[in-house]
Amino acid sequence: MALLEVKNLDVRFAVRGGDLKALRKISFSLDKGERLGLVGESGAGKSVAAFSILNLIARPGYIAGGEILFEGKNLAAMSDRELRKIRGNRIAMIFQDPMMTLNPVLTIGNQMVEALKAHRRISTRAARQIALDRLKQVQIPSPDKRLDQYPHELSGGMRQRVIIAIALLLDPEIIIADEPTTALDVTIQAEIMALLLELCEQRNVALMLITHDLGVVSQVTQNMLVMYAGRIIEQGPTKEIINDAQHPYTQGLINALPQMGEPGRRLYQIPGAMPSLNRIPSGCPFHPRCQFATDLCKQEMPEYVTSGNVDVACHEVRKLIEEEQQQREMTS
Amino acid sequence: MTTATANASRWSRFRESFLWYSFKRDKVAIVSFVVFVLIAAAAFLAPLLAPHDPYDLATINIMNSELPPVWMDGSDPSFPLGTDAQGRDLLSTILYGTRVSLLIGFGAVILQAALGILFGLLAGYLGGRVDSILMRIADVQLSFSTLMVAIIVGAVFKASFGNLMFGEIAIYLLILIIGVAEWPQIARTVRASVLAEKKKEYVDAAKVMGYRTNRIMFRHILPNTLSPIFVIGTVQIANAIISEAALSFLGLGMPETQPSLGSLIKSGFDYIQSGSWWITLIPGLVLVVLVLVINLLGDWLRDVMNPRLYKG
Repeated sequence: MALLEVKNLDVRFAVRGGDLKALRKISFSLDKGERLGLVGESGAGKSVAAFSILNLIARPGYIAGGEILFEGKNLAAMSDRELRKIRGNRIAMIFQDPMMTLNPVLTIGNQMVEALKAHRRISTRAARQIALDRLKQVQIPSPDKRLDQYPHELSGGMRQRVIIAIALLLDPEIIIADEPTTALDVTIQAEIMALLLELCEQRNVALMLITHDLGVVSQVTQNMLVMYAGRIIEQGPTKEIINDAQHPYTQGLINALPQMGEPGRRLYQIPGAMPSLNRIPSGCPFHPRCQFATDLCKQEMPEYVTSGNVDVACHEVRKLIEEEQQQREMTS
Repeated sequence: MTTATANASRWSRFRESFLWYSFKRDKVAIVSFVVFVLIAAAAFLAPLLAPHDPYDLATINIMNSELPPVWMDGSDPSFPLGTDAQGRDLLSTILYGTRVSLLIGFGAVILQAALGILFGLLAGYLGGRVDSILMRIADVQLSFSTLMVAIIVGAVFKASFGNLMFGEIAIYLLILIIGVAEWPQIARTVRASVLAEKKKEYVDAAKVMGYRTNRIMFRHILPNTLSPIFVIGTVQIANAIISEAALSFLGLGMPETQPSLGSLIKSGFDYIQSGSWWITLIPGLVLVVLVLVINLLGDWLRDVMNPRLYKG
């Protein structure tokens, strides 16, 4: 059994004039120690997916259907009290901006002790000891001094280390990292990513990495999901997708990556922009931006087809696969 | 040992803080602070400092009534600021009266702050129906003037308890009336800053950590909204002292046996035409100086703590 299994998750936002579908029939699973990447442009629903896993979508958002099974128990149907035992304790989350995630008026030590005390019966002294240990593990210089410092006294990279230390504080099974390195500069990004990866491997923690950086995803994760307008459009092993992307959107994302060694070449752009939730196109939501779009794409939402180990939702890919099969049958 | 070092580091932290830095540079703030501390200290040490006990009826001699201050003819050196119409030493009465005024000012603001913080936090953080209900109550409350409510409540109590009994509970009653009448000011300020704070990521992070709503409200959001509360609280102390003085002047506040600055001013007002100006003027001066320094301190705090959030 997978550690986390999301089945047909539907998340909607109730606004005037009807519901907006933020997530549409999302299904994926995460095993113990697995590293899963979640990519897509801004507005694809990545962060909504992360928050809904913890059943923490703010009103007017709500979970309209589907299941989130953590160790077989459905988080979508759990009481607040039971959920609190899981949040932070079994599933931790790391946010994008380390400047904003720490409470500015509490010392690092106080924030860590509080997190421990919220979930365990533990003395302040013992909690401080654990906090100190974790700060050592995230390789912060002079950790004992940091405990009594306030967030504004630390640099961005150090703060993100503190946040990772807080995420690891209660030995969670899953860490959801929502663009953990976007707000940091490039050299620090690499350090923080390497640290996060190392700690997750050491402790056999499953990592769900939300990012729009395909470079990071290809280095860190084993499997990946590509999201577009609230839907997963391609999912499978990271290597296969990066090397041979099937969906035109994924291909576009990969082509849009800046390449080293080709000075002067124009960067590729996917034409158009992510549709807003109240104007999602009919049929395949990507069709207005897709160079292969046909009439079928405008009318009908594509089902998933399997190519190798990868699931893709695209009519054109289905056609190609069917043609290939026919050819194979003809030759045999 | 550890607490000693913790205290030392807290003190050194304070010495390095922006608050201390800007205080040192602001002459008005320093002078106001010193004057305020002097007045407050004199008021609270009144039983030690005052040459007479104005509450002790046995020491009062009606023959000493309306004596002028020492620098005028016909004064008595044992009454440095003269006496009032009942023959009480004015200096002692002012010291005791300032104590009463300050007690009511601080008491009312503590009550206001308790109510305002609680309702402001609930309204701002929970939002929705709780917010609408609490804020409508606040609107209704604000649409009555403080003085009007106080006059009605005070008159009702005075009528039903009689003058003697009223005198005993007057100080608590005034704290209650002024505190309850003014809580929406603080509630609105708190609500506004809670609305701004709750959108910040540290609140999401706290939710993700599995903290209870109470904990998030009081331990995570409240400390981040304290600066506007301090600023408005300071100004409200001055306001409460003025409200109390106004009520006492109207005869609905402190009784003359236990005078506050307001009731002293009132008691002298009847004699101002007969030449005994000092009974009204000197307590009035003390009241003006007290309110002025508190307001100046409030202004300074506002400039230092949040230049944008709170505008008088």
